[in-house]
Amino acid sequence: MSATGHGIERFALTPARRRKDRLARACILTATVVALIPLALIVYYLLSKGLGSWSWSFFTTDPTGNTFFAKESIGGIKSAILGTIEIVALAAALAVPIGVGVAVWLVEYGRSSRFAHTVRFFVDVLTGVPSIMFGLFVYIVLIAGTGSSYAAYKGSFALALLMLPVVTRSAEVVLLLVPGALRESALALGAPRWRTIARIVLPTALPGLVTGILLAIARAAGETAPLLFTAAATFRTSFSLSGFMNSLPVQIYNDVTSPTTAVVNRAWGAALTLVSMILLLNLFARLVARRSRLG
Amino acid sequence: MSPAESRIDPAGLPAPDMLEPKPANASQSAPHDGDAGEPTGLLAPAGLTVTLQRLKAFYGEVEQVKGIDLQFRSGEVTAIIGPSGCGKSTMVRCINRMHEEVPGARAEGRVLLDDLDVYDPSIDVVAVRRAIGMVFQKPNPFPTMSVFDNVAAGLRLSTRKAGDLQHRVESALRGAGLWEEVKDRLSEPGAGLSGGQQQRLCIARSLAVEPEAILMDEPCSALDPIATLKIEELIDQLKRRVTIVIVTHNMQQAARVADRTAFMLDGELIEVGPTEKIFTNPEDSRTEEYVTGKFG
Amino acid sequence: MGTEANTGQPVQLTAAQGRQHFQQQLQELEERALGGLDVVVEQLDRTLEALTHQDVELAQMVIADDDRVDGRYLEVHQGILSLLATQAPVAGDLRLVAALLHVIVHVERMGDQCVNIAKLIPLSGYQPPVRPEVLETILKMGAHARSEVVQCKAAFSGRDIGLAEDLARQDRDINRLNREIFNSALEIGDDPDTREWAMHMILVARALERIGDNAVDVGEQVAFVVTGLFREFSEQSGSIGT
Repeated sequence: MSATGHGIERFALTPARRRKDRLARACILTATVVALIPLALIVYYLLSKGLGSWSWSFFTTDPTGNTFFAKESIGGIKSAILGTIEIVALAAALAVPIGVGVAVWLVEYGRSSRFAHTVRFFVDVLTGVPSIMFGLFVYIVLIAGTGSSYAAYKGSFALALLMLPVVTRSAEVVLLLVPGALRESALALGAPRWRTIARIVLPTALPGLVTGILLAIARAAGETAPLLFTAAATFRTSFSLSGFMNSLPVQIYNDVTSPTTAVVNRAWGAALTLVSMILLLNLFARLVARRSRLG
Repeated sequence: MSPAESRIDPAGLPAPDMLEPKPANASQSAPHDGDAGEPTGLLAPAGLTVTLQRLKAFYGEVEQVKGIDLQFRSGEVTAIIGPSGCGKSTMVRCINRMHEEVPGARAEGRVLLDDLDVYDPSIDVVAVRRAIGMVFQKPNPFPTMSVFDNVAAGLRLSTRKAGDLQHRVESALRGAGLWEEVKDRLSEPGAGLSGGQQQRLCIARSLAVEPEAILMDEPCSALDPIATLKIEELIDQLKRRVTIVIVTHNMQQAARVADRTAFMLDGELIEVGPTEKIFTNPEDSRTEEYVTGKFG
Repeated sequence: MGTEANTGQPVQLTAAQGRQHFQQQLQELEERALGGLDVVVEQLDRTLEALTHQDVELAQMVIADDDRVDGRYLEVHQGILSLLATQAPVAGDLRLVAALLHVIVHVERMGDQCVNIAKLIPLSGYQPPVRPEVLETILKMGAHARSEVVQCKAAFSGRDIGLAEDLARQDRDINRLNREIFNSALEIGDDPDTREWAMHMILVARALERIGDNAVDVGEQVAFVVTGLFREFSEQSGSIGT
């Protein structure tokens, strides 16, 4: 089979092909740039408007509730930061075990049974529910329905409901990636099924599970709507989960509409803080994933 | 350390007299009352005979294994050969009751370990699997564990007391001919070994729980020729203390390694006999056609 | 093949019956080996004719042509080694290859026996004292031997055990004739030339008897190929003097 003569036209790079290739590349590049513009703008605005508010006292003092006076007297966002951490921590403590448990059941026991299909379907539906619905649900059931007050733990419930389908879905994906051969080997060694799951499947899936969980946490930390109807806000730092508690999203929500510039600036600072916390969490998730892959 | 343990030949395989054949008990155990069997744990004597009686296996409604009567004797290697899809892997998985782990799969008939029916409702499946080990086609050491932990995994995962872990891991690794190669690397990840070493690691892992029989499902098909030969030599040594059943596509391997060979076709047992006979003068014409490569 | 690729037609690979190439090689090897028996028959015919007419030149040709038999032996032998190394035959194929190895050895021996006879012809001188009855018996033996060689070839290529076992019966006739020759030679008289000629005839008879035995051995290989069991066909091979 000779490449000369009749054959070589098949291999030649014609000007028409070159043009098409360049055009396609240009289109894709344009699309990428267009997608990046809003991101760049957000980062720019956050940094330019928020950095100015950052200071030591910004992080260490509570908001005072004064909105009409000068910057020094409006306070920082300490209670908001702590509040977010507390509420989200409780939400994670609720959502993670349940979510991973559901995922384990779906992958190891339910598999393709009809009930498992139904569960999966509803989990998928839940991932699409707007976050405000979780807040409203908890409000109706735990606050308006029972006549009791807003509380931080109720906010955690709402956030946990929000996190649950996300954790379940990502855990299920990761657990499905564990090769069946590993389970088989463990079973063939004479391990009961629950031990196989606990000692072999979960440790193997751990990096992926951790990543999924951290991402779910990052998402929940930024949700405002569920907290509006459940945790309320207070200016003081609180460590009581049954009382009102401040949180960053709610703080931002309240500050942004204030006529006082200083307060609005505080909102930007808080927004930057929230984004930074989430960024740190993401980086941490990656570090964990990489460390366990190399380990 | 007894002097015997230091005598390892350069290939890393245990010196033959290290693998003392277990005292040959009578193949029939003492008369038992009825067939109540043992509720948990198996106390079958060493070197047991595995007998399949009218064994059938189903995937849903499809009958993959259609009634097999076959016996695997202690101290022997039996090879199962046959074309793809003939049910040999399925049949072998019925022996240690792994077949029923597939959703919708079930088995009928009896599988006797000496006199004990493995499918008896009073028998603990987990205990059966400890007595009958399995090595799979693709080496699959547990990725999150070190070499040591991999071998100890069987002991730790089972409910039995682990006992002297260090000693048992070492003797399992020696039994698999791997000790010399990994004794300085025990804490390294199991997945870091070469393919052939990984498979021997899996064999060591199975050996650590001290099974009476080991089932091997095409153990060498993912390995290079040298690793394959090492494992074949290992099988030859192991057969003195465990009953070995090996499923293989490679007829040359069956011819090299097995004392007896069984030929299966479409879920049925066509012929079984001494390997030499199967490969020089088989009785059934279908066996003849398969081994000479006229089909399959 | 270049042409097929260029026309766009896919090259057809049939695996309808596995290992076609190997089966073909095996068949060709068998044909070469059995073809050696045909050469032996030719050689035998010419030898007997040379014996009848004291044709020394024909005898020389027979001796020279043994190279054909030897060449065939080497060819089949090499083919067997190659097949064993590259194709790893088992079961029936393996038995066939082993049998062909035996067959070609017997072919070569038969060829050598023809040469032995041919070598004896010039020794008798150009005008030997011929006793017609002895010569007749010799020629009868020659005919039997020829028929045995032809039959063993048919038995092998047809895998016919019955035909193979019949060779043992025919061989008994040759053995009987061999004893006759021997006894005739004992009583041939006192003339030294005649006695010398008779001695040569004994050697010729013995050579013909060996050809018969080799043909029976080929028959035994037929049974081996078909049944996988090897057994000697006859107990009454008969030695001289029994």
